[in-house]
Amino acid sequence: MKARWELILIPPLLVSVLLMVTSQVIFLRSSFYRDLGYGGSGTEFELVNYFKFFNDTFYLKVLWNTVEVSFFAMVFTLMFAFPIAYLIARMRSKWGMVLLAGIVMSTFITIVIKVFGLYIMFSREGVINQTLLFLGIIDQPFAIIGNEGGVVVGLMHFTLGFGVVLLFSVVQTIPRSLEEAAQIFGASRWRVWRRIIIPLSLPGLIAGALMLFNMCMGAFTAVALLGGGRVYTLPVLIQRVVIMEAKYGMGGTLSAVLLFSVLLINILSLFLLWNMRKQRMIVV
Amino acid sequence: MRRRSSIILLSKTKMSSMPRYIFYIWCSLAYVFLLSPLVIVAGASLHRGSRYTVVQFPPTELSLYWYTQIPEAHWEALSLSFGLGFLSAFLACCLGIPAALGLVRSRIKCKALISSLIRAPMQIPTIVTGLAFLQMYYLFGDLTGLYAHGTFVGLLLAHLFVGIPYVVGTVVAVLQRFDNRLEEAALSLGASRWRTFRRVTLPVIMPGVYAGGLYAFMVSFGDVPISMLLSVPGYVTYPVELFYGMENDFNPAVLASSTIVIFLSLGIMLVMQRLIGLENLLRSDGNRN
Repeated sequence: MKARWELILIPPLLVSVLLMVTSQVIFLRSSFYRDLGYGGSGTEFELVNYFKFFNDTFYLKVLWNTVEVSFFAMVFTLMFAFPIAYLIARMRSKWGMVLLAGIVMSTFITIVIKVFGLYIMFSREGVINQTLLFLGIIDQPFAIIGNEGGVVVGLMHFTLGFGVVLLFSVVQTIPRSLEEAAQIFGASRWRVWRRIIIPLSLPGLIAGALMLFNMCMGAFTAVALLGGGRVYTLPVLIQRVVIMEAKYGMGGTLSAVLLFSVLLINILSLFLLWNMRKQRMIVV
Repeated sequence: MRRRSSIILLSKTKMSSMPRYIFYIWCSLAYVFLLSPLVIVAGASLHRGSRYTVVQFPPTELSLYWYTQIPEAHWEALSLSFGLGFLSAFLACCLGIPAALGLVRSRIKCKALISSLIRAPMQIPTIVTGLAFLQMYYLFGDLTGLYAHGTFVGLLLAHLFVGIPYVVGTVVAVLQRFDNRLEEAALSLGASRWRTFRRVTLPVIMPGVYAGGLYAFMVSFGDVPISMLLSVPGYVTYPVELFYGMENDFNPAVLASSTIVIFLSLGIMLVMQRLIGLENLLRSDGNRN
């Protein structure tokens, strides 16, 4: 009787593991072969692509760019997502759910369509630039295509919805009564935030931040469209190397570097946090 | 007691109303930021202008002209995207439900490992998944002569791979709240195992299945990198068609077809809300990890 549950786990597990292991092993293996041009690859197992990556400042710069825009997008996303998540989680009426649905709805629309909207919004004659120019805040139109600012805006569009939904479930775990108690005893709103809401949501906040960062590191579409061929991150470079140059070996190497750098950054930040916790610098 | 505390809270909020307003303005700014591109696309699609000054928001010359100009390729791409989305979501449910049941109810030791193995595809950047599948198809093709890239099956397999974890996540979330006594009651009253599953377990976990299926569908429907690497010119999904259209020549008809897609997505959301309620749809999402 009891064996039943293990048995039904087998077919889906088999499919998942088979697809994952074979595809990952094959692409990792391909990263060790030299590209011969026109999609051909060498037969010798060597580290030539990895040497190329770590000896070329262009590739290293792209890796750094990826980390940089992902970091900024993560920070700005959190700055918007946390207040919204808090607001929705503390709403007593049905409207909270409707507000959350609005967010989820926006994440469901493919990012390509949203980028259309952003193009029009930030176009030279568009609403935003004309207003800002009129108010004298900027003296020349802000272009959203082809610079890192635009890429960060695009990444935020990609992650903000997920961020709100993630943090919503974090805030929900903090009992409302704690805040009320603090307020009754005369704590200011700011103090309640600083002493109750932020410390209690910190574990979830950190986990969420890492997830958003990972999403940004792997994001392709928004960066490709808003980077306009001038901002390169690893995913964009992978697509370019594979589709335009047919260098599958180098594409594999870039993918492997992307995967492992994401993994490394996650492990490092968790390790740092663990250390800080041990020294009681923060309470997690 | 309750009333007293709320009176104190009220006086408190009056005193600190300034930061409160800033807080609300900040939050509504984010909404404007998130939703205005969609409104702008829908609005601009209604503007009829000459080919080079077409894109304008707010529209000044209202017309449905661009809706009549949607190229055939968009409809083909849309039908491919819908077919892929529905089928991969359906298959993801077929595989995700047993996986979730097995994960929650079995008593094996390495459950955490299996769980993270099943959920791993969500953590792999989609462009890497696309490249890995492309390489796998090449190798498989070299061995057997059957090349899967550029075919429906090839796309489906990759989309299924990405979709399964979403279904597993939402169904596991529902199963963890499941009251096992319901099943025991059905069994003790003489229902067979299969009948118990179909009449008791399945109806209870259905909200999770719908929510997971919806996520799997939306992930498949909105994906660019995987479909781009695995498709061939002339046989592409809708987002990829838009992506290429944007890189090459801008045809304002894309605004019209995008608006149709926006309203279709809205419609799917509303149907789901009717089926399982907003709360179920949103709650199961938070527990994805």
